[in-house]
Amino acid sequence: MFKIISDAGCDFTVAQATEFGVETVPFYIINENGVQKTSQPNPQDYMDKFTPYLKAGMDILAITISSKLSGSFNSASLAADMLKEDFPDRSILLVDSLSASIGQGLITREMVKMRDAGFSIQETAARANKIVQSTRVYVTVENLESLKRGGRIGPTTAFVGGILGLRPILHVVDGQVVQLDTVRGKKNALRMIGEAMVHTLKDEVQNVHICIGHVESQPDAEAFIAKLESDLQITLDTPLTEVGTAISTHTGPGAMAFAYCKKYTAFDAVALKEAA
Amino acid sequence: MNTWFIIAQILGVITICFEFASYQIKDKTRYFLVTGIGSFFWAGMFVAMGLATGMSTQASLIVAATYSTIRNLVFYRIFLKNTPQSKEFGLNFLLAMIVVALVAGGISVVNAPEQVRWLHALGMMAALAFVIGQYLPGVHYVRITVVFYAAVVLLTQTPLNILYGDFRWNIMGIAIEGAKIISVLVFYARYANEPKTPQLMLAKP
Repeated sequence: MFKIISDAGCDFTVAQATEFGVETVPFYIINENGVQKTSQPNPQDYMDKFTPYLKAGMDILAITISSKLSGSFNSASLAADMLKEDFPDRSILLVDSLSASIGQGLITREMVKMRDAGFSIQETAARANKIVQSTRVYVTVENLESLKRGGRIGPTTAFVGGILGLRPILHVVDGQVVQLDTVRGKKNALRMIGEAMVHTLKDEVQNVHICIGHVESQPDAEAFIAKLESDLQITLDTPLTEVGTAISTHTGPGAMAFAYCKKYTAFDAVALKEAA
Repeated sequence: MNTWFIIAQILGVITICFEFASYQIKDKTRYFLVTGIGSFFWAGMFVAMGLATGMSTQASLIVAATYSTIRNLVFYRIFLKNTPQSKEFGLNFLLAMIVVALVAGGISVVNAPEQVRWLHALGMMAALAFVIGQYLPGVHYVRITVVFYAAVVLLTQTPLNILYGDFRWNIMGIAIEGAKIISVLVFYARYANEPKTPQLMLAKP
């Protein structure tokens, strides 16, 4: 038996975390002059979450937001190292999602499915690391001011981009957020992302999980999902997700996120054994 | 025939080749490199024409072509680096270029004969639209604005300029602007029947 623990970067609601049997470690939300910022959990926070399960004789499989976006993975590593002395017979394995928000959420959901299917903690961690490599996250942002505050764009870019209605499309590459493209207008951005997702996923749609997230943009997100489901002739098995503070403080309202990854069943068992 | 005039025509032909090629390229970075090289030969053509016919008639064109060369090559570097810092610099550079073009265009409009001021004003707007179109994302803005710009240049710098009563037979000027328009038409003809691919490419899972 092992317990799956994720930091709040996975954007599970309390009900979802309870349903999946996943313990979450919250981020700290700091309010600086009316601007919300997040701070990673510290090692003690992870130790406090790990310890009761270790005492109950369970192993721990923890997943964190990308180590290149936050120090959460580092905190979890330090906590695991410190607890090894007290619980030498227990395993604490960590997965760096190299992702965030709904991307991390998709990986966590696959971990839950593997646990429920009877996989060992080692098998689950090995497959989860494969899923990490297959996870893609794209974000379109409406509010350039938030990106300016986060230092992702300069003041001139924010000013001119705002006038011209430019919408950057960001993606997560090797755990870091980089700009993929810039599009004029939200409608145009959503159309282009929708077309690109259909083009990319149509041949292997049975082997992938897709999740859509939003920041105070539910009607747009629902319309996007309806079109995507129609074009791909599927029904998404992950609910529309409200992107949490860890990400939304950087994107501001109106942002939408799009993520997909391979299902754990899509990986070849032999290759996974080698990876383990 | 004057040797410098012949050199100018040769540089004009080279310019045509680069300008035509540039509007066949979808990738912005490569577009700026090829059109930047084209602008360099374009500036060279005006220098050679100046040496052939007198610099006073070509000075403003040399300045405009040099400005175009620098702008295109700076944009090339910005798109090649593709970092938030380079894009921020690019936008500041673009705004500076717009201010320079507005001042130069304004002076040109004010100094133009009253009956053709509208034509100079149109030229200024076309040039501004083109510079902004070059920087805007996607393949369409730059092509739409270059056709408008080339059409206005044809109107002002060629025998089509009947308003001046000044019959300047700059065949290379006509050919260069014509090449841009034809290249855009060829671009759309080439890709009209191509299977539709998304404008944005996402990574496979």
